[in-house]
Amino acid sequence: MKFRTCVSGLALMAGLSTGAAVASEWTLEKAAEPYAGTVVDVVFLLRPGYEAAEAMLPEFEAKTGIKVNIVKSPYENALGQQVRDFVANGDFDIALIDLVWIGNFVENEWVVPVSKFTSNPDLADPALDMDDFFPLVLDAFGGWDGEIYGLPFDNYSGLLFYNERMLKDAGFDGPPKTWTELKDVYGPALTKDGKYAFALQSKRNETQSADSFARVLWPFGGSFLDENFRSNLLSEQSQAGLKFRQDLMQYMPEGIVSYDHAETVNAFAQGDVAMITEWSAFYATLTDPETSSIVDDLKIAPEPMGPAGRKPALGGFSLAVASQADENEQAAAWLFIQWVTSKANAKEYLDRGGVPARQSVYELPGVAEEFAFVPALVESWQDGVPEFRPRFAEWPEITEIVQEWGTKIMLGEVSTEEGAKILGERMEAVLEEAGYYSGDKPLAQ
Amino acid sequence: MPAKTSRLTLFGFLAPAVIALAVIGVGPLLYAFYTSLHFFNLTKLKKIRFLGFDNYSSVLTDPVFWEAMGRTFTMLIIALPLQIFIGLGIALILNRPGLGFWRVLTRLSLVLPMATTYAVVGLLGQVMFNLKFGVVNQLIGFIGIGPVNWIGDPTNAFTVIVFWDVWQWTPFVALVLLAGLTTVPGEVEEAAELETKNWWTILRYVQLPFLIPGLVAVLILRTADTLKLFDMVFTLTRGGPGSATELISLMIQRVGFRAFDQGVASAQAIILLIITIILAQIYIKVFYKEV
Repeated sequence: MKFRTCVSGLALMAGLSTGAAVASEWTLEKAAEPYAGTVVDVVFLLRPGYEAAEAMLPEFEAKTGIKVNIVKSPYENALGQQVRDFVANGDFDIALIDLVWIGNFVENEWVVPVSKFTSNPDLADPALDMDDFFPLVLDAFGGWDGEIYGLPFDNYSGLLFYNERMLKDAGFDGPPKTWTELKDVYGPALTKDGKYAFALQSKRNETQSADSFARVLWPFGGSFLDENFRSNLLSEQSQAGLKFRQDLMQYMPEGIVSYDHAETVNAFAQGDVAMITEWSAFYATLTDPETSSIVDDLKIAPEPMGPAGRKPALGGFSLAVASQADENEQAAAWLFIQWVTSKANAKEYLDRGGVPARQSVYELPGVAEEFAFVPALVESWQDGVPEFRPRFAEWPEITEIVQEWGTKIMLGEVSTEEGAKILGERMEAVLEEAGYYSGDKPLAQ
Repeated sequence: MPAKTSRLTLFGFLAPAVIALAVIGVGPLLYAFYTSLHFFNLTKLKKIRFLGFDNYSSVLTDPVFWEAMGRTFTMLIIALPLQIFIGLGIALILNRPGLGFWRVLTRLSLVLPMATTYAVVGLLGQVMFNLKFGVVNQLIGFIGIGPVNWIGDPTNAFTVIVFWDVWQWTPFVALVLLAGLTTVPGEVEEAAELETKNWWTILRYVQLPFLIPGLVAVLILRTADTLKLFDMVFTLTRGGPGSATELISLMIQRVGFRAFDQGVASAQAIILLIITIILAQIYIKVFYKEV
């Protein structure tokens, strides 16, 4: 027994030392050698996080000989562009997945689980450290049904950006802690002389669904669906949230239903609006003197809390290897994804305007002081809801319904009850057709 | 007497055009009809199944479809008469003798709106009609009118897309009608002017018969253009706010490429095609008479 234990111990040590030797030997250059000259195609959005990655790209290409071909696209076109490409077995080797597209991409088998690559010692960087990703972000952005498909790349949480000077001038020492306080106390005090207390981007596209409609559901205890996947929009809590938004509109600029991110961030950046709840990704825009006149007055806090807690907006993108790519392209694509989301590159990505999902980078000395959004972001990622917007394959159809009726509610064309009723009926019709009520599909969102 | 042309030669000359039309026009149309008979969602290709005319019945009973159709025809009914009325006025002015250089300059400037890409017109509108920074609000501010929420208000947004369409396509109508006016024989016009000084009588009985072919062409082309108007509205309002500017083409695009339901979108497109063909036939039967 003693002998066997001893042998086992030696074997374990040998194994560990071999593993350590492999780990120490693994380099990106060596891993990429067989794939030099491979071209991988990927869609990038026109946002700061993508510009940051693009600026870092020459280093990757020089080290690996792999060429990353970026196809730039505005957000609104990115899903359609990728769906058409994947349906036609086209060129994209990497899928850029918004968290609400993950169910769709996985169900259609357009993406490959990361385990295919993490289990391959030739391709898996021993320093990959999946546990270093914020668990909520990794799960929500890249995971579906217990499997990880994508690594978090462009990561957002909703934050409260506020103009400290405007708040001080109105007699406030800090930002509102709750949504009710924002409306009832800050709203009247800050809406005057052509300035507005708050702007909630609500344009009829994904902005209406994600940034406006969902944002007022969750903190008030509401949700899109109940546990049986029936509409929960007529519940007392959901209605409270939707009615709150209607009340809050009096403190927002006229025509807020036509405000997208650009208009909202711009109104705040020009000092016309005192507070906005926007994605962390806009930090770079708001701290750039060329695009913002309130750089010195900019402060950031977590989103206000509702009766059900903070439950801030959660959004972001993962990168996943496309199943339509051939083996070489898949390997090259994985090496790029692994590299651009790595712990080692997280600080540079952050410095260049991206928002990494690596916990370790936010623990580095000086980061919290240098990037004012960090404490609020880290706090938000502890308290987010993965299904802030349902992530199932039917979301593209449902978001269209939410966009239409959410806007009609805001415009007062229908009441919150009428709008929620029609929206719920249409949402349930989509889910019925998909097979959730007949038991053909599991109730996963 | 010319030699008889062989069938092969005729076919040789016709074939490229026929083949191109078949590949570009007829093929996709047949495929659209095929998809319209199926459950055909790009993100659920494993579930494709034959539905018969179910997509058509669901489209025809969908109030959202008819609301979008109503909006499109409202736009047509407002914009087209305005374009014809203003276009005819411009054509009549340009047809007057003695304008010289100004006629050339005006004709050139009339081409500019038409030469501007639809999408660019929409993007220009976004900037010009911006509530806070737009030049339109600045201009009306000079005459004491406060800023108007052009794009964020449902009624105003619809007015803006009508205005933009009239701005872009009135010159086209003017040029077509001007071409029609130039075909009126000079001696006929001179004789009419000796008979009456009433411009309306001359327009109605002398010039209008020569304008009918152009007017029918304008009616058909502008109706078809309005029914498929997409780019300008998409870039300007994206169909919003709410559904205020969601014309039928935007709705089809939304269903087909944002919800990815190609089956229903194809059924909508084919119903739209049928309506367009019926309207074109009505125009030809009611208005068109050989001069």
